[in-house]
Amino acid sequence: MNGPELLRLFDPKLCLFDLKGTTKDEVLVEIVARVAPPGSPNHRLVLEMLRNREQLGSTAVVKGVAFPHGRSLAVSKLMAVFGRSTPGVRFDSMDGEPSHLFFVLLAPPQDRANQYLPALGRLVEMIQDDHLRDRLMTVNAYEDFAAVIQGDLPK
Amino acid sequence: MNAQEQILIALQDLDLMLKETTDSKEQFKNMGFETSGVDELRRARTVLLDKLETTHAQHYERMQQRYGRAVTPVTSDMCLGCFAKVPPVYRSTTYETKVRMCQSCGRILYFP
Repeated sequence: MNGPELLRLFDPKLCLFDLKGTTKDEVLVEIVARVAPPGSPNHRLVLEMLRNREQLGSTAVVKGVAFPHGRSLAVSKLMAVFGRSTPGVRFDSMDGEPSHLFFVLLAPPQDRANQYLPALGRLVEMIQDDHLRDRLMTVNAYEDFAAVIQGDLPK
Repeated sequence: MNAQEQILIALQDLDLMLKETTDSKEQFKNMGFETSGVDELRRARTVLLDKLETTHAQHYERMQQRYGRAVTPVTSDMCLGCFAKVPPVYRSTTYETKVRMCQSCGRILYFP
């Protein structure tokens, strides 16, 4: 999966450059609120799925980055949400450091093109780049975010 | 969507997570993801099952055993499990309070 293909998963409305949440659960609630209206069955279902995923093991696996992810019947197509918290949030990361960048990947159970795990793998691989992480800490508009994901920004 | 349907869908999501954790364990490990909390998820599964009416819990387990996925979405009035037509009346308010099942395959239906 290349940069443009990955970028297509991110809806511009689902790029949150200033997350307000200060705890793991607050961040999940805040992000899911953009995917489905708070209080709706879909909101509850997606949130419960992500909470369960965190129970399985923290998704904060890369320095300062977390990848909450999973499949739910409440999701109709593969989609990604980007969130950023400048102060950072304790996300039970392996190194104990706060997470600043959040890539949430949501998939329906029937992912016929089988893009879910390759997309997750690509995101994890891509974000290992220190320079890319630094750029994502400074972008404030979807266009800039898109340029970073597609690898268009000058180094 | 009624409360029992919501629990059934949450249960289906959880079972899918448990299955994928086992099936793709190596892939997740290679990506660096920790999946040691399987017992926690199994406990959460029991809690969800206990919230279901006995007949629904039994039907779910039967369908899960038979098809691997007990709950299936409905698209264009069609069960996506067996592709049989679903009665349009299932969308009426009368049926919204019930757990709806496919008359052909028995799977529990989810109306997105």
